[in-house]
Amino acid sequence: MAIIKCEEFLSRFEPWMEGERHADIQAHLRNCPHCHAIVNDLNAIQAEARSWSSSETDAPERVWTALREQLEKEGLIRDTVLDSKRSGRQAASARWLWGLFGGVPRPVLAGAYLAALIAVAFALSGPIHKKVNEEKWLEGTRIATSPLRAELNTAEQNSALSLASSNSDVSASLHQNLAIVDNYIALCEKSVREDPQNEIARDYLYEAYRQKADLLAQMSERGENVQ
Amino acid sequence: MPEADAIRLAQQGDAAAFERLYRLHNRRVYSLCLRMVGNTAEAEDLTQEAFLQLFRKIATFRGESAFSTWLHRLAVNVVLMKLRKKSGTESSLEEITEPDEESGGPRRDFGGPDLRLSGSIDRVNLQRAVEQLPPGYKSVFVLHDVQGYEHNEIAEIMGCSIGNSKSQLHKARMRLRELLHEALRAKAREDRKAASADAGGED
Repeated sequence: MAIIKCEEFLSRFEPWMEGERHADIQAHLRNCPHCHAIVNDLNAIQAEARSWSSSETDAPERVWTALREQLEKEGLIRDTVLDSKRSGRQAASARWLWGLFGGVPRPVLAGAYLAALIAVAFALSGPIHKKVNEEKWLEGTRIATSPLRAELNTAEQNSALSLASSNSDVSASLHQNLAIVDNYIALCEKSVREDPQNEIARDYLYEAYRQKADLLAQMSERGENVQ
Repeated sequence: MPEADAIRLAQQGDAAAFERLYRLHNRRVYSLCLRMVGNTAEAEDLTQEAFLQLFRKIATFRGESAFSTWLHRLAVNVVLMKLRKKSGTESSLEEITEPDEESGGPRRDFGGPDLRLSGSIDRVNLQRAVEQLPPGYKSVFVLHDVQGYEHNEIAEIMGCSIGNSKSQLHKARMRLRELLHEALRAKAREDRKAASADAGGED
């Protein structure tokens, strides 16, 4: 085996550190304390560096908080939890309308759908600024919501009919819930009549109508399934 | 949620997927930044910046390279930009390595003094030495010796050849050895000075 000198060792040192083992280099290292010391030093540096990875820690939570804020500010992220709630609500509305007008012929359905939306929007979301307009507003509300109430009544009759053949506990429970919601609507209507400027009362009434529509939709669906 | 699903959902702007990707990778990115700058506040800012750039560009990720490689490339670039700004110059790739070696200056003596490093290296003095490395050497050293990346991955991260990565790592280790020897010698001088001061005080 050829004996190599320090210079040659140093020129082939890089592959040695990468794991390439050659007998002539090993022999040189055995006989050269100078080069042997270099190898030992670099091995010690590597060993110390490797031990650092075991003590790696997550970035502090404030980094994510700040990052998220920035992403929101730039409109790069959307909250899927909120989105799914929103889309769930939209789906419920669709079900609500379908259930509500399920028994009505299609051309009539579209008209009733719009009438209901306009009535609800006009009656429940319209601002009331002056006391002098309250009576007018109440009258407007009564007129505007009457088609909605009429449609709800029709849907209720249809649902009741479609469920008539079913005597299950679930059907009984739906009827019971409908009575509760009707009571709730009556209470909300009373509150709105007493204090037309109370937006919370109007919100509750709106929500009550929605609940009734949801319930009717469920009853309607169930009736269809039973039939 | 597996990483591939998180990437796909993040590309659609899903907040939970962004968070999942952050949780999966923040530790390595933060550690890389911390080793490179040696300062927790700066490392936090750089981690945030690296992820911000990642999320801004995530729609363009096509999976040609591993996601972590892509992220590390962004992180290394963010850190190198910061270090260049700090030094007040727009450095070229050569300048972030070792100026005297690249320009053919006097070659350093690999052998150095006879002081033995083994047993005297600890976290603090190695970190101090790493901080003194030129940014290019530092990146390769941290990626390879600390984080365990292979040269082909480092080449992709750093945008250089595999041979270049190997050569930079070798130079980084040799430079660290010198810096550690210098620190050892300085300590030995201080110890001697302190000992002679003590001896003088006793007389």
